[in-house]
Amino acid sequence: MAQPVRRAGRLTRLALLTAIALTIFLAEAQLPVLPIPGVKLGLANIVTVYTMFVLGPGDALLVLSARVFLGAVFSGQMMTLLYSAAGGLLSWCALCLLGKLLTREQIWLASPVAAVVHNLGQLLAAAAVLGSWAVLAWLPYLVVAAVIAGLFTGAAAQALIRRLSRLQK
Amino acid sequence: MRGAAKWVAIGLVLVVAAAAALLFQSRSAPSPVARITRDGAVVEEIPLDQVAAPYTITLEDSLGTNLVQVERGRIRIAEADCPDQVCVNQGWISDGTVPVICLPHRLVIEIRGGGELDGAAG
Repeated sequence: MAQPVRRAGRLTRLALLTAIALTIFLAEAQLPVLPIPGVKLGLANIVTVYTMFVLGPGDALLVLSARVFLGAVFSGQMMTLLYSAAGGLLSWCALCLLGKLLTREQIWLASPVAAVVHNLGQLLAAAAVLGSWAVLAWLPYLVVAAVIAGLFTGAAAQALIRRLSRLQK
Repeated sequence: MRGAAKWVAIGLVLVVAAAAALLFQSRSAPSPVARITRDGAVVEEIPLDQVAAPYTITLEDSLGTNLVQVERGRIRIAEADCPDQVCVNQGWISDGTVPVICLPHRLVIEIRGGGELDGAAG
């Protein structure tokens, strides 16, 4: 009996995290667009970072891909799926690597790195679609914005992990 | 901060410094040329300092329509039937800092040979 119960528990937890991430993502999408395309806070990544460091890379990939796909469906812009998927996959790889390097108290540092890599992935996908490297002119703007936003979401994820681990004890 | 985290932090600082340096870098050249490309192929090249009177170009293909407005020294996408309107919202460009890009229509307008405006990076 224990096995199915544990499986159901994992499924429920992943579904819950996906729902939270998707809600945050869609709520953030309602904010006014900044003049620089691609610049945003990326609050849904708090959930990605949390899942990565608390539940592991496999679960993080499941939650991330479900959120990215459903986010594109619900926001009605399927073309953005390609860019988000490229950015998401690349930043997931970065997070896997950082998970091995960083201790539990340094998780906040992972988020700005993942954010920069995410933007790089998006721009590379856009460059491939355009058949032109012109989009890379946005990279410096996006890198600066990503580090600021990443530090913010990283601090939030760190606080979340600290509070929740206290709760579980 | 110890071990790997130190190097991660140093790497981040270096990346941000490099990006900031690129943003504040200024180049100057006398004759800006706007190059319009679609799917990586050049559609039109406009020497912006030789534009006598403002005019518009309609660019249309299977992906959609963009109305490009040209004036002496500057260019913009005035209208587009894409969903996100990023290219329209970007407004006029008059230097090579950033191109106007309509991603849904795979259209790029970039200016070459033009100098960056002072403070445009801020």
